[in-house]
Amino acid sequence: MTDLDVHLAAIVAGDTQGFARWLAGAERPVRDSLRSFAAAVDVEAVLQESLLRVWQVAPRFVPDGRPNGLLRLGVRIARNLAVSEVRRTRATPVAASDLEATLSAEPDAPDPLLRTAIAYCRDQLPPKPRQAFDSRLASAGGQDDVELAEALGMKLNTFLQNFTRARQLLVDCLKRKGIAL
Amino acid sequence: MTKDEEDLLVEQVASAYRPKTLDELRYHSAWHDLDAAGRERAFDLARALRPLEAALDEDGLSTTARAVLSKVVSGRTD
Repeated sequence: MTDLDVHLAAIVAGDTQGFARWLAGAERPVRDSLRSFAAAVDVEAVLQESLLRVWQVAPRFVPDGRPNGLLRLGVRIARNLAVSEVRRTRATPVAASDLEATLSAEPDAPDPLLRTAIAYCRDQLPPKPRQAFDSRLASAGGQDDVELAEALGMKLNTFLQNFTRARQLLVDCLKRKGIAL
Repeated sequence: MTKDEEDLLVEQVASAYRPKTLDELRYHSAWHDLDAAGRERAFDLARALRPLEAALDEDGLSTTARAVLSKVVSGRTD
């Protein structure tokens, strides 16, 4: 099992590259731990804030000797924040997911073959869908779709339709290569 | 709301963009316009998109991870 705590020393030392390597493996398990809250809170907002808080509290984190201690902490931070959001917004309470079950899923490891296949399929996209897809990637969550659309000279709906088409074409291309997402 | 209109809202909510803030969570404005089923669709779509994004990133990072790192580097807000 991948133990993301191998990056802990770097993170505690304030190394953002070390935190990036931890993020690459930790994002999915923490996101999955919020699945049961999806109808009640904006999971993306909760997730990003939780991951940011992990960075902030990491220097005070004391490992308990088990693997992925910082990931466990991240899942707890995310769950507590989601519960607070449910209370704040008076949304319908949700059943919490099982912490250990969530953590039993191994953090993702990079798959070079998948990377190659996705890059190939991205290169096959028609110009407009590719523009929309690439602009979302390049913005890295820093700009909303209205700004991205304006920068490309598209209306918002056109931009979103192009992005949807790009996504569907990518999935279809990957399916033809025997990869199901 | 038509199915097409909902689809476009779901597509927006599934992005990693969230308004910058000093000390509180800021939801995507389109999230509020979705019903429970639409919000769950947005969750599932984001979950499916992020590995694609990470696979195309030289450091293996999704747009979510990039957004978090940006806040770390900039001290939360620009």
